Amino acid sequence: MALRRAILGHIRVPVQTLTLTGIKQNQQWSLCGSSLRFMSSHDDHITKEEVIERVLSVVKSFPKVDPSQVTTGVHFQKDLGLDSLDNVEIVMALEEEFKLEIPDKEADKIDSCNLAIEYISNHPMAS
Amino acid sequence: MGASSGPRLSGIQKQVLSLYREFLRVARSKSGEDRHQIESIVSAEFRHNSNEIDCKNFIYIEYLLRRGKKQLEQLKSPDIVGLSYLNVGSSQPKKT
Repeated sequence: MALRRAILGHIRVPVQTLTLTGIKQNQQWSLCGSSLRFMSSHDDHITKEEVIERVLSVVKSFPKVDPSQVTTGVHFQKDLGLDSLDNVEIVMALEEEFKLEIPDKEADKIDSCNLAIEYISNHPMAS
Repeated sequence: MGASSGPRLSGIQKQVLSLYREFLRVARSKSGEDRHQIESIVSAEFRHNSNEIDCKNFIYIEYLLRRGKKQLEQLKSPDIVGLSYLNVGSSQPKKT
């Protein structure tokens, strides 16, 4: 209630010339804003450790890959004997795992576990 | 078109990989069994061509790229649920 009064009190000053609906809208926006801030304040972005673990498990579960060879340092084509088509499939699998859409330009660059981990952990939408 | 910006992949290779990626994306939009079938046909076709075709046969590869793009457009339609194979001498995928 105190918050609401504070908001209304705050709004009234610049809004004097607006109609009643205008005030309501402003109020809704500010309430909406505060709830969004609340959501993001408890950090739901995944940790780097989690990214590493999930990237490795996606790569390990790829049919042509020998899971025992997979470490964070491996290069898909040089170390795991995959070709560029497999590379595309792995990146697509990672997209699905982290619910991302990686544009072609970026996807072409991701050719090792390290690069994948780096890209995903820096991606704000990864989940 | 055709300019190679990366040290490893040529322009035409990038186009092929990009087409492959798009096919896999479209496959995702189809339901479970269809999706699986599309993925296996598409990946078999790309792999088959990558092994069979000389990587310097640009004219043929560009033809396949154009054909692939048309098939991709068709596959994007929600009415089309899958691909099927029709074996006439050489293997060519055909829409159902």
